[in-house]
Amino acid sequence: MIVFISGGVRSGKSSFAEQCAKTIAQETCSLHYIATAMRTDKEMEARIAHHQHERQYDRWQTWEQPYDLDVLLPIFSERHVVLLDCLTNLWANELFRDDEWNVHVKVPRIAQQIKQLGEKVQALIVVSNELFCGGVPCERGTYAYMHGLGLLHQHIAAWSDVAILMKYGLPIVKKGRWLCGVELY
Amino acid sequence: MHFVSGGAFQGKRKWVNAYYSLTHTPHIWHCAYERPLPPPHDEKTASVVVLEGIEQWIRERFLPYTDEQKKAMMSYVHAWEQWEKEGERTVVWIGCDIGQGIVPIEAHERAWRDAVGWSYQQLARICSRVDYVWCGINEQIK
Repeated sequence: MIVFISGGVRSGKSSFAEQCAKTIAQETCSLHYIATAMRTDKEMEARIAHHQHERQYDRWQTWEQPYDLDVLLPIFSERHVVLLDCLTNLWANELFRDDEWNVHVKVPRIAQQIKQLGEKVQALIVVSNELFCGGVPCERGTYAYMHGLGLLHQHIAAWSDVAILMKYGLPIVKKGRWLCGVELY
Repeated sequence: MHFVSGGAFQGKRKWVNAYYSLTHTPHIWHCAYERPLPPPHDEKTASVVVLEGIEQWIRERFLPYTDEQKKAMMSYVHAWEQWEKEGERTVVWIGCDIGQGIVPIEAHERAWRDAVGWSYQQLARICSRVDYVWCGINEQIK
């Protein structure tokens, strides 16, 4: 199962996604967190520390995987609930790994990796960002980034059982059903 | 008429294609990013006309967004509305949502955003149906 959660900056999507993962896992599944941020500078270190602190009292196992999601595939089974936070980091790391920035090669590959992971585990929760409503930049790198992320969103939303747009900490269910934060279909 | 909006790269074109089954429906598709949007001629062969890239069409033709230009824009929209009424026809307008970013520093860019927002309001008022597409999923908002 795939749950797709997207939203603006500080829309509460990460904490909602963690809550969502725990709800699905209950007592029967273990919780896994795929962290995608690269440790590039002090600000990123601080953000990582903040997120780690938030999770430390829970039963999360963290996997630092800034790219090549398929490396983790053999680890997981239907006894696992996996949270991928977030797709925007993963996509940036993948796209700008080389100088080609080839959206049409990379998007299908990453989309397939996410699909496979979603089929293998009890639930895969994918967190991403909304950045499509402020105009389209001319600059080639940013254009390729937005283009690819938009395509990934469409693929993942199409394969997801539940697709949620977060606004101000409130979930807007665009696809599937989410009942009172308890049951999930 | 039908107005379809949504953020960039959200599958607006794909959704319109699927919704109107355009692979087997006679239609004409005009894209403002390729050439300027034309006025309605005698396009009798098509039951569906799609006008894509409204934001670009506004950028090219209706800036800096004077009263005269607003009038010209509205008469263009009404011309298509009239064309639609003359037969079993549908006009679909596709416009990218560009109004939710940081306010641009350049006056021209600000005027563009204003003009686009204003025209989308007019289109939403005039069209009988409005959809907003997010990740390929439409939400009918009118």
